[in-house]
Amino acid sequence: MEGPALAPSLKNIAPQQEYLLQGSILDAHTDALLHRLRGLCDNAESSFETFNDYEAVYMLRNSSTTQQSQYVLFRVRHALDIPDAPDHIRYLGQAEMGDRTRPTLVRACLDVACSSNVREFLTEMGFRMDHDYVAKGIFFHKGRMKVLVYKIYRLIQPGSTDPKNLEQLGNSHLVELSVVAPLGQEQIGEDMKTFSEQLKPLVMLEKFDHRRLQ
Amino acid sequence: MGVSCVYSYPVPEGRSGAQVVDLLQKQVEMLGGIKAGTFLVDCETYQSVMLNTPKTLHILHNSEHPASCFAILDSGATLVADTLFNGLMSNLKNYYQARKGAKIESKGQRFQLSDFILKVGSVSLAGSMKGILVEVEYCPSAIAADCWNLMKELLQSLIGGVAESPPRSLKPKMEEVYTPATTMLQYLNHFNNFRTAAAMSQPAR
Repeated sequence: MEGPALAPSLKNIAPQQEYLLQGSILDAHTDALLHRLRGLCDNAESSFETFNDYEAVYMLRNSSTTQQSQYVLFRVRHALDIPDAPDHIRYLGQAEMGDRTRPTLVRACLDVACSSNVREFLTEMGFRMDHDYVAKGIFFHKGRMKVLVYKIYRLIQPGSTDPKNLEQLGNSHLVELSVVAPLGQEQIGEDMKTFSEQLKPLVMLEKFDHRRLQ
Repeated sequence: MGVSCVYSYPVPEGRSGAQVVDLLQKQVEMLGGIKAGTFLVDCETYQSVMLNTPKTLHILHNSEHPASCFAILDSGATLVADTLFNGLMSNLKNYYQARKGAKIESKGQRFQLSDFILKVGSVSLAGSMKGILVEVEYCPSAIAADCWNLMKELLQSLIGGVAESPPRSLKPKMEEVYTPATTMLQYLNHFNNFRTAAAMSQPAR
């Protein structure tokens, strides 16, 4: 037992950044992409790793009227296919697009595993649920790069994640290439760019400015 | 990991806290306790700002669970998370602010006595000693009701009548499977008492 010396060192883990590229592909062509990814990524011999997550986004707002526009979002995830797994809070910072020379979007990223009463706890802290969805798809990794090919489902009746209650959004799959790494590792962006070139022309992975979508 | 009970041990007048801690430690060693490292439980308190209903959030750490962080609201709702939860709190600094000078901790020697772990901690608030907390853990059991009598016997030989009945936050959970969150609730209760006592003893300005 290390004793008290261990605790403070674990409290101050270097800030992590997420490097992200996104794109989409029509459902009909997903198989071709999956086969290519299987060839490019690690663990080509094993079967696809799937995931099925319920994500609820919680918002904390300032109640003073002058600062209504200020808020913080916590994304709470829970694996529907592994009910015993811990829940998971993810905080994402403001996205930095950078200039043309920067290959990916970069944002602060904090992942915290927690006990499963997190929804009630956040509500009690003053958070309100903003929106929720189910993400179902397949997960690949190559080195520390992570590739997700997934689909977003809307909950028809709020609160129930029963498959009958899910409605798919759109006719395409989302494709995400991301790496979570400590601050200041710009090299990883280049690696991601090279990797994304190999998926063309099936899917064009780009850095999207989410603020422009709103 | 087993069932833990935490008691506050009064410091008699005319004695310093350090003397009493020393005495307790000697007593544990007389019982056959063997020194097994040190321990630390700390608590930081955050106050909500700009929220309609004011809320208090306590963030506790325990060296016994070095990768975890315990967040407890006034209502007793407890969230167990990775220590990275501290990082989340710093992103909430516009909503929850750390109360100044409210950091309180209990630290001291940890002893092993066959199936028991005993901890004698001195409590300090903003750098000054406020009291003594004694924790006894009985490792082989997970249900407090099953081992309370056994623990009581050991506790009474050490701290006497203070341990007449189970701690307040443990009482409603005697029949349930014990979790480390209950230990933290016990510590928080004691910490809050020490803080109230410290606020009372301060001269009014």
